[in-house]
Parts: sequence; C-alpha cells; structure tokens
Amino acid sequence: MINFIIVLFIISLIYLAKVEMVKSYFTLMALQGVLLFGLAYFELKEIDLAHLLLILVETLVFKAIFVPIFLKRITKERVHRHHHLPIKGYYSVLISTAIVIGCFMVSYAIHDELSINADHQVKYFTAAISSILVGLFMAINNRDLVTHLISYLVIENGIFLLSLALGAEMPMFVNSAILLDIFTSVLIMGIFFNKMKDYFQNADTQHLSQLKD
Amino acid sequence: MIYIFFALTALFAILTYFIRVRLFSHLMVFVYIAMMMALAVDLWPQAGKSLNTYFFSDRLGLIFYLILVLVSLFSAIHYVKFVIDRNVKISDVALHNAGTIFFTGSMVGVLFTSHFGILWAFMEATTLGASILIYHNRNQDALEATWKYLYVCSIGIAIAFAGVLFLGFAAQQIGHIDFSFTAIKAEASSLNTVWLKGCFLLIVTGFSVKMGLIPLFNVDIDAKDASPSQVGASLSSVLMNAGFISIYRFYEAFSGTSILPWMNKLLMIVGLLSLFFAAVYILRVKNVKRMFAYSSMEHASLVMIAFSCGGLGYFAAILHLVMHSLVKSSLFFQMSQMHRIFGSKLDEKIGSYLRVNPLGGLVMLLGFLSIIAMPPSGMLISELYMFQALVAKNYWWVALLVLLLVLIIIYGLAVKMLGIIFLKKNTASINMQGATPYESIMQLILIVIVFYIGLFRPAFIVDTILLAIQTLPA
Repeated sequence: MINFIIVLFIISLIYLAKVEMVKSYFTLMALQGVLLFGLAYFELKEIDLAHLLLILVETLVFKAIFVPIFLKRITKERVHRHHHLPIKGYYSVLISTAIVIGCFMVSYAIHDELSINADHQVKYFTAAISSILVGLFMAINNRDLVTHLISYLVIENGIFLLSLALGAEMPMFVNSAILLDIFTSVLIMGIFFNKMKDYFQNADTQHLSQLKD
Repeated sequence: MIYIFFALTALFAILTYFIRVRLFSHLMVFVYIAMMMALAVDLWPQAGKSLNTYFFSDRLGLIFYLILVLVSLFSAIHYVKFVIDRNVKISDVALHNAGTIFFTGSMVGVLFTSHFGILWAFMEATTLGASILIYHNRNQDALEATWKYLYVCSIGIAIAFAGVLFLGFAAQQIGHIDFSFTAIKAEASSLNTVWLKGCFLLIVTGFSVKMGLIPLFNVDIDAKDASPSQVGASLSSVLMNAGFISIYRFYEAFSGTSILPWMNKLLMIVGLLSLFFAAVYILRVKNVKRMFAYSSMEHASLVMIAFSCGGLGYFAAILHLVMHSLVKSSLFFQMSQMHRIFGSKLDEKIGSYLRVNPLGGLVMLLGFLSIIAMPPSGMLISELYMFQALVAKNYWWVALLVLLLVLIIIYGLAVKMLGIIFLKKNTASINMQGATPYESIMQLILIVIVFYIGLFRPAFIVDTILLAIQTLPA
C-alpha cells in the first residue's frame, strides 16, 4: 500500500509541473494532503492517539482541506496564469521526470548510509527529494505568485515526507511548534498575496523589480 | 521564568495589536524591554547552566542578548520619533509594535534554546515577525521586499529543516533520536559523517538568509532597504547574530567529529564568496541603505572567515559580531534622520551632511571610520585577530585575497561616505523640521562603546567570550 501511495504522489508531482489551470492546483494539493495522511497512517502504526490527531490535523485538515480552500478564496479574482513560461508543459513533464529519476539514483546511491530499514527509506527519499526539487523547479519556471505559493507547499510536502522517512517521532512540543509555524507562514503569505493582487491588479512577479542597486 | 517570559511575549503582542492607543502601544514595547532586562538579571547568574529541557542560559546567547536589549531599546525610542515625524496611522503603529514584540521574543528563543527542533521553530518565527516589520511603510517597495523576504526565507528555513531531519537520520542509526544539543554533542563522534555533512550544508544554506551570506543574501538586502531604518538596524545586527548562533550551535555540536576540517572549509568558501559579492555590489550601489546592507554582508563574511580558522579566529569572529552590531545599528538609526532631511536615499542627493547637521555628520563620520576598522574602532582589533588566525593557519593566499577585497570595499565605502559627509552636492531640498541633535546621542553612545572596547578591551567582554567558546576545539 505504501508503494502505491508513493507512486501516486510522484505522479501528482509530475502533473503539478505541467499544470496550466489554477483550479487544478487546488485539487492536486488536496490530493497530496490525503496521500500524505495515508502514508503517515500506514507508516506510524504504533503511534499514540495525541500524535495521530496531530498528524491528522497537519495532513487532512490543514494540507487537504484548509490550504486548498484558502488559496481558492484568495485567488478567485483577477489572477492570471501565464502560458509563456520559459519551459513549456511538455518539457516540464520531461524535466520533472528527469528530477524523479535523478533523485531515485541519488537515493539508491546513499542506500548503504541508511543502515536501518534502508530499502524502505530509499522510496521515501526519492519522493521527498523529488518533491523539494520539483517545487524549486516550479518556482523558477513560473512568474505568477499562485504557482510560487503552491511550489512552497510542494516543498513543505517534501519535507513532511522526509520526516516520515525518519519514522521515529519528534516530541509533541516540537511537532506542534513546526505545525504552527507552517500554518502561520501560509496564512501570512496569503495575506500578502492579497495585498499584492490589490496593488498590482494581477499577481505577476514581473512587477517585483522595483528594488535594485 | 523563561516560559513565563514567552507567555508574556504572546500576551503583550496580542494586547498591543488590539488596544489601539498610540501611547499605550509604545508603552507596551518599553515595558517589554524592561521585562527583557529583568530576564537578563535572572539569567546572568545561571550562565552556562541548563534552565529546563528545552532552554539553557548559554554565555554566547547572553552576550547577544545584551545587544538585543540595547538595540531594541534604542530602536523603540527611534520609532516613537518616526511615528511623530511621519504621523503614522495608529493601526500601523499597533501592528508594528506587536510585530516588534513577537520578533524580539522569537530571537530570545533562538538565543537560549538548547534543542535543534525548537531552534528551527523560533527561526521560522523570526521570519514571520520580520515580515510584519518590513511591510511597515505600506508602499510598493515595502510590499515587494516583504513578499520576497517571506518567500525566500520560508524556503531557506524549509531547507534548514531538512538539515535537522538529516541529523535525525544520523541519530536514528545509533538507536534513538534526541535533538538536544548536549545529547547530539555527546554522541556526535559515533554518528555517520555523510549525514552530518549533509545536515551542516543544509543548515548553512538555509540560515544564510538570516546572516546575509550567499546563497540567499539578496532578499536580506532588499528588506533592509525597503523597511524603516530602525528595522534595518535590527535586521543588520541582532538578526544577523541570531543567524550566526544558529549555525554555531550545529558547528559546536559537530566540532568533536572528524568533519571539523570539512566544516571549516565550507565556512571559509561561503565567507570568501560572500565577501567577493559584497565587494562587487558595494562599488556599484547608489542607495545608501543598500550600501550599509552590503557592508553588513561584508562583515558577516569576515566573521565566517575568522570562525573557519578556529582557535583565535573563534574569539575574533564573536568580538567582531558584537562590535558590528553596535556600529551598524547606529549607522542605520542615523540614516533615518538623514533620509528625512534630504528626502532621498541616493548618495548623489545627499551632501555636506556635516555642515547641515554637525552632530549627525559626526555620527556618520565616526560610524564610517568604525566599519572600515580605523583606530580607535574596536573592529580593528577583531580584524587584526582574524588576519593573525589566518596567518597562524598558513592561509597566506586567503589572507591576501581577503585584504584585497576589504580594500576594494573600503574604497567603495569611502568614495560614497566621504561625499555624503563633506561634499557639496546638488541636493533637491533640505528639510530640517523635527531634526534635533538629541536623536543622534544614542548612536554616539553605541559608537563610543565600540571605541571603548577597542581601546580598553574590558575583561567582562573578553572573559565572557572566552568562556563561551571554551567548548570548541582549541
């Protein structure tokens, strides 16, 4: 089951790299949230109730429900997607696939360093590092701010996967602090996103070139 | 005590945001700073001891904490003047003051936590607090700077978190994961060095945005430019110290392992590349605030280079940070008044500052002499120690390269700063309304402290730094 979910997650990553409709982003982010919950549920079987609740909040409530709805609300007006990307859809798929393959090779290469449960961790590593790199690729390849927000969330999903690969739990206090931080950063980014939209009439990074030497 | 402090920080920030009365808002910040002083009195006798599971009264933390208290106090006084001069709306004042309390409280957490996970969480909190402060002016520049800062910092902090997780992978192999500094340090030598290297690389990359080093320095420069000058002062001094201490914690924990030479090399490369970029940019920059920001990048680079030498270099790095924090804050504070008088941040529009405002001009002159490490500036001492450490390690070529780049930077700074202070230029209009000599007194105090440290090297500071670094390899 874990293999199946990881493959689905990687497919969603490749699809994310080529998406051109804003609303597809929200569906994909919600899907990733559900997949991450599935992974966490199967991975952390011997978990106490409080911890399970925390992960439930982090993945299902926060990643799969709150964030997509929140982003949908703030982007419903005047958000333009630019189709003149430096690298177009078809090539984006190729590049993101190359990233995934590259990450698999790197993860496999460090197989020996992962002495505990190495075969299992290679899968997580591939998905986690791919997610971080595809997120960075999306941020570079797109000019609009919605995609930048989404790419940040994709990177965060990668980090979450990496923490799942770790398996063992951090103390609740630390986990809650991390969850709270990510929650607030998305919220504050959302607020500033709205302000940018109001100020510049659309959400394009080409307006962000005022500050220079 | 420290948990009560954090609870009060949250309470103060909420009250300041919701009770929108100007006097009350400023008063809350001053009461908060008084509370910070009380915390300093409480923590100082416990120097070097653990406070509880997640916090300790670390000596290096205490040194930076005292600077934080001083800079926060002066910054709050300058903000009162800023609000009066610009007639800032009460809603903006309330948000800014609440943000200041939140930002300062987060930095206290960074300085005193003894747990890598909590350190990360507080560093992320400083990003959120700083974003509120940077957005203060509510114009296009502020919006652009805030967005970029928030976005790039969040990615940087996410990368740093990956570093913390790498540390987790290393710890997992020996059976248990405890992210406290003492546990990691005690077992560091039995941890897998591949993971430790990966961890340190990601941490330096992620936190580079806070220290203003490569690779993520750009947004830091924009933030210092677009924010009010007193915010620029905090970002250039206390936040830089917080960035340094975050990298320092990991360095210290891994310093007993075989990766120590590798870490030193990495820091040296980061320092040299950052110094090179600072030298290139400082020659072409026209905006005075950005020039100060690049100067901060130069000093952060020097700190990294000194630190990478070990031994005397550790002492030089920390002493340099202490003095840089004081001088750079005073320059940014003075910049606020200069901007108001000349109505511009461009060096071509500012001239004869010494004649227009003698005391302000004097602050700029003394500040300039201090940052280029001219005697009697204490920064001369730390830079000399740095070169001594480089030579002791036989890094002659590095010492020569650093000397060359520093000379280029001094040239770039001198051309612009001396022009601002002495040259008569075609300034559009001079507005002396509200400019009082009193607002330069705090800057003078900060510079005098640096001169005092340079001339007398007080035992209190030297001993505290030496005790703080005694846990590092000789």
